[in-house]
Amino acid sequence: MSTSESQAVENLSPAAADSGKKHNYLQIKNVSKQFGDFTAVDDVSVNIHQGEIFALLGASGCGKSTLLRMLGGFDLPTKGQILLDGEDLGNQPPYARPINMMFQSYALFPHMTVEKNIAFGLQQDRVPKSQIADRVCEMLKLVQMERFAKRKPHQLSGGQQQRVALARSLVKSPKLLLLDEPLGALDKKLRTQVQLEIVDIIERLGVTCVMVTHDQEEAMTMASRIAVMNAGEIMQVGEPDLVYEQPNCRFSAEFIGSVNMLEGSLNEDHPDWASITCPDLNADLYVGHGLTGSQGMPCALAVRPEKISVSAGEPQREHNKFQGVVEDIAYLGSHSVYHVRLPSGFIVMANAMNASRHSDRFTWGDSLWLSWDDDAVVVLTS
Amino acid sequence: MIAKLRTLLPGKHWAITGIPYLWLLLFFAIPFAIVLKISFAEAQIAMPPFSDIVDFDGEVWNLTLNFLNYMYLLEDDLYVDAYLSSAGVAFKSTLLCLAIGYPMAYAIARMQPSTRNIFLMLVILPSWTSFLIRIYAWIGIIKNNGLLNNLLMGMGVIDEPLKILHTELAIYIGIVYAYLPFMILPLYTTLVKLDDRLLEAASDLGASPIRTFFTVTLPLSKPGIIAGSMLVFIPAVGEFVIPELLGGSEALMIGKILWQEFFNNRDWPVASAVAIVMLFLLLIPIMIFHNSEANALENK
Repeated sequence: MSTSESQAVENLSPAAADSGKKHNYLQIKNVSKQFGDFTAVDDVSVNIHQGEIFALLGASGCGKSTLLRMLGGFDLPTKGQILLDGEDLGNQPPYARPINMMFQSYALFPHMTVEKNIAFGLQQDRVPKSQIADRVCEMLKLVQMERFAKRKPHQLSGGQQQRVALARSLVKSPKLLLLDEPLGALDKKLRTQVQLEIVDIIERLGVTCVMVTHDQEEAMTMASRIAVMNAGEIMQVGEPDLVYEQPNCRFSAEFIGSVNMLEGSLNEDHPDWASITCPDLNADLYVGHGLTGSQGMPCALAVRPEKISVSAGEPQREHNKFQGVVEDIAYLGSHSVYHVRLPSGFIVMANAMNASRHSDRFTWGDSLWLSWDDDAVVVLTS
Repeated sequence: MIAKLRTLLPGKHWAITGIPYLWLLLFFAIPFAIVLKISFAEAQIAMPPFSDIVDFDGEVWNLTLNFLNYMYLLEDDLYVDAYLSSAGVAFKSTLLCLAIGYPMAYAIARMQPSTRNIFLMLVILPSWTSFLIRIYAWIGIIKNNGLLNNLLMGMGVIDEPLKILHTELAIYIGIVYAYLPFMILPLYTTLVKLDDRLLEAASDLGASPIRTFFTVTLPLSKPGIIAGSMLVFIPAVGEFVIPELLGGSEALMIGKILWQEFFNNRDWPVASAVAIVMLFLLLIPIMIFHNSEANALENK
């Protein structure tokens, strides 16, 4: 926990590193939330930079939604503090916070037109009527929904409702925008398109945004930084590529993407290389960097399937090559995932691009070679 | 396979939809036709106490429609006054039921599902006793030496009994008491369906709880308000037992007039005309109700 915290502060995203943007715009300090005996959020601390899109990623029940609800003011922390732009949000009710939320299933008011839904927030602030009309117009334009201003929510498609919900949550120019599973209700095809649209709109307005999602692809596409959550705790915070390529623990390695996990123990440790003995592999694993640890120290090894090359003949390299037999094939169009059984019985997943249309691909029972670069493996010592 | 066979069997579908139609025909359309017929007849001292509107003189059938009964209703202020005062009493009772029932329905809808059912039960339970007995019970409570007066005098709050029985107040007490469940239940069903996230969204957008109530909760419970109001207003207009038992002799309600015309004056044609006019007057709110239901369905 404490290591990922310190990482969080140091790992500034390029967007937030711009001059004038505050790094500690939203400060979540040792926040816990208890429901009876159940600890939904357990001593979470994280700083969110101004203007970034920050994703809380985790499986359902990991506490990410509770954390978001505490930011919105719908639940109050049992312990800890939340500061927005230096100001303690304390026990402020949702209607007093300069924070707006886009709800999971949008929660559009069914008895109001699109226009009135968007105007609602401004009316609560007693903004003059003419200004409301202008602002609503502006928002409708931003989300390209001008033509639907007079419709009721039930007359819109899911994607259109989503745009209205976005416009409604942005109309008051909130200091912080919260997105709760923003695209959960859309089908996959539409989702990828809308993801980039939302990011575009949010970045254009420069609003700071915290989103909650269980979909790692969504988090990686949209967010500038990701916090991986498990059982109420933040396991790792970082930019998408860092979390993917440099997982700091088994959980984040396994949660994001697919990964081959091997158990082993440190054999030789040198300043610029190390070797690890692995009972599942018939040769020592070679790592292209030194490790800090003593001989025999147990460690977990994470190798992503796409880092492994598959070949029929023996690869021209000294280390990290293993022979196996194809056990299963998942054909995914752009690439195939081979499940290869090693002599030890361990099954390794390896991806191969289907670069040509009619190449002779491996089939069940084929014998092949797996190999990977010296820096392909992430060694997790904790 | 069975489903396929079923579609081949004729009449099954009609047998099911036919039952309510048959019911309506037997217990609404035919009695209505009889009452309508009597309303066009003339009163006679005979058995039955009205003339035939159709007679056969050997060659042709003659239909004699007598509109005098309807004219009579307009001529005598008694009837117009009774209609107006009935509508007035029903309207005020409906408002009272709404004012009392809404907070109750809201509170029940916001409860934990387990406690909810207990409270709903408490709302419905009194209707398991006979309506008449419950109204009689109110006499025992509000009469001069009844429970309420004895209690208040015993506590020294009042020196002499409050006159409640046989006043307008007693009629309101009776109607509100008897019809409150009909207001609460439809309100409850709309309020319990209200999505919490809409209230959270309103709060999130800056609406205080009171503003949220008036801008979100209240408009969304409109179908329940209309349904509940109709269920109270319509039977309250024609209410006979409550004004008869609890109200004074001066209480002017169309239900009482109807009774008097039928049983005291034995003027069945005028009584029938009173009933027919009441029915048509009540059609107006029923149409409004129906319209709003249709709109609500459309907006689903």
